[in-house]
Amino acid sequence: MLKDPQIQPASYLIKQLPTLTVFVDRTFKIVHASDKWIATFEKDSNNTLGKSIFDVFPEVSHKWKKVLQDCFCGQAKPLGVHKHIDANQTEKWYEWSNTCWYDLNENIIGAIIQINDVTESIENELELEKTKNLLNQQSKSSKTGRWEYDIVSNKISWCDITKAVHEVPMDYVPDIDSAIKFYKEGYSRNAISMALYEASEKGTPWSEKLQITTATGIDKWVLTTGKAIFKKGELVGFSGTFQDINDQIIAHLETKKNEKLLRTLVDNLPLNVYVKDINSRKILANKAECDFFEVDNENDLLGKNNFDLYDAETARTYTEQDIRVMTNLTPILGEELICTKKDGTQTIFLSSKIPLFDENGTANGLIGISLDITNIKQKEKELRNLIDVTSLQNKKLINFAHIVSHNLRSHTANFSMLLDFLHHEECEDEKKKILNMLDSASKNLLETIDNLNEVVAISTNVNLETKEVNLHERITAVKKNLSDFIDSNQASITNNISKKETLKAVPSYLDSILMNFITNGIKYKHPKRKPELTLDLTKEGNFSILSVQDNGLGIDLKKYGNKLFGMYKTFHNHQNARGIGLYITKNQVEAMGGKIEVESEVGKGTTFKIFFNEKI
Amino acid sequence: MKKFKLISIVDDDPIAIFGIHKMLNLTVECETIESYINGKVALDGLNKRFKDSEVIPDVIFLDINMPIMDGWQFLEEFIKLPITKKIRINIVTSSIDPYDKQKWEQYKDQTHHLITFNNKPMKKEDIAKITKTA
Repeated sequence: MLKDPQIQPASYLIKQLPTLTVFVDRTFKIVHASDKWIATFEKDSNNTLGKSIFDVFPEVSHKWKKVLQDCFCGQAKPLGVHKHIDANQTEKWYEWSNTCWYDLNENIIGAIIQINDVTESIENELELEKTKNLLNQQSKSSKTGRWEYDIVSNKISWCDITKAVHEVPMDYVPDIDSAIKFYKEGYSRNAISMALYEASEKGTPWSEKLQITTATGIDKWVLTTGKAIFKKGELVGFSGTFQDINDQIIAHLETKKNEKLLRTLVDNLPLNVYVKDINSRKILANKAECDFFEVDNENDLLGKNNFDLYDAETARTYTEQDIRVMTNLTPILGEELICTKKDGTQTIFLSSKIPLFDENGTANGLIGISLDITNIKQKEKELRNLIDVTSLQNKKLINFAHIVSHNLRSHTANFSMLLDFLHHEECEDEKKKILNMLDSASKNLLETIDNLNEVVAISTNVNLETKEVNLHERITAVKKNLSDFIDSNQASITNNISKKETLKAVPSYLDSILMNFITNGIKYKHPKRKPELTLDLTKEGNFSILSVQDNGLGIDLKKYGNKLFGMYKTFHNHQNARGIGLYITKNQVEAMGGKIEVESEVGKGTTFKIFFNEKI
Repeated sequence: MKKFKLISIVDDDPIAIFGIHKMLNLTVECETIESYINGKVALDGLNKRFKDSEVIPDVIFLDINMPIMDGWQFLEEFIKLPITKKIRINIVTSSIDPYDKQKWEQYKDQTHHLITFNNKPMKKEDIAKITKTA
């Protein structure tokens, strides 16, 4: 009973301790525990006392048994830090310490164990460790070093990485002069000197991309940053970082170079190249494209869509194409397209559009390449015209060859036959008759040759001199020339053409053409009617059309249409029909770039329409 | 010498008519030799002969290049006439255009008449040959 009053107050005292404290006896049984200890480690607070400490911390028993036993022998040692999952299932770190528990007789009766929650500091430490590692790793992988310069001691210190960047041995001792001399002479060295000066004078920090020459003589790009350090307003030094950015800069320069190469290539291609975004707005335009739109700067085109640049119809076509390419994801290649700009100028393009894919494989734009083929098309057209003209000429030539072979041969056949007769003829009268025939055959031949000559002259006259000719005046002149013929046939000619009207024609051809149609109109008059001719002029496109209408016999065009303008073709039983007039007229009209059309009805009359080309 | 009742010449060239006429006189015996100055006149004349049951020619000399109606157009119409008598039609042309020869080949097979092709100038021997087989 003597002990009890002593113990009881002690036990109560312990109970109230603000720390996690527990008393164990030599059999490891818990004798006292602070309320805080029980609250922290025990779910059931009533059962704590008398329990073995190892029941509470089963995971530590083996190791600590020994430490506690040492303690019971008077040798208290720290128990160290231990992780424990507490009653709330949270992970906690605890630092354990123990001292010997003496009774009044200085006998060790157990151990006093004090536990500190060090979770926070452990976590902080771990965080710090992690940060340190990270920083080291970062600085290693980014090759970022540190440096410091102390003005007072005139000492500069480099970290290992800074040394490595300079490619100096680890025992190298830099000084401020040599440090600056590592910078390449010229821009880099000037820049660092300026930065140091500015920092010391104004306190401005710096961050510069400069070049150094390392100890081994290699040129390198570095990012050097620094700031001045002031103590009580006094400049005492500088500190900063030093990073090897050679790879990045080289890569950057390489990218720049490639970009420039690509740009130069794109700009100098003799093709219009552009890139459009998903809304058909231009996001790139090469020089040819800029030239096409007559702008000096690409920026004047960027952001503009089809409707900003082309006339409505072209813009619609382009937009449809753009959508098609981006929706179907299939390129349009070499499609011929007429492009009309806002100002109305037209260009023919051979254009290709290729979809541009984003990382998801959907099209978010397109690349366009257009070749201006306006000139080629024009040339093609000219060439086709030339082929047409050539084939026409060729046809004429064949026709002419046929005429020559036929018409000249018929005369020579006659000569040969008549001469053969003459050779064998004995009768003088018959001989005379044959000679007369030879004479007429010779005249016929001469006439044929003259006609052919005239045709050749028209066909070969390439340097036609067309003039503006007053049509009314020419008709009046021709009428005057033919006045006897007109009068004797009691013909009337109505000239409906205005006195001001002019035509582009070869004057001599025009006279011949007028002469021919007027005489034809009268010559092939209807036996029951007085010949009446009407002349009119109309315009149609590039042509002035002279129409000559008569009330004569008319021609059966179904029968003779294809032969009407043939050489030596006559259709009426008329003694003066030679079959050469229309052939020559047709040649003359065609030589001036025109044509002749004919409408006719047998018994009613004929209308010839002569087309004069005003664009020749 | 073979005797003919009628020989017709269709040609717009009076010299050619004169020549054939003269050569016929020298080689064959023929009651009548008539001439037409183009295909139209010839067709009308021969059609009239056929309709009026007059003498139909045994031989026709036919020029190709003629005004109003040329030799081919004449032939086209003539072979349509229901003449049963086999007539020898001699095309006589100065043309050496292969196209004309083709046309002849074409007409040859379309009729029971005998159609031959000769180039001008005709010789006495040609006339003799033609009239012998007619």
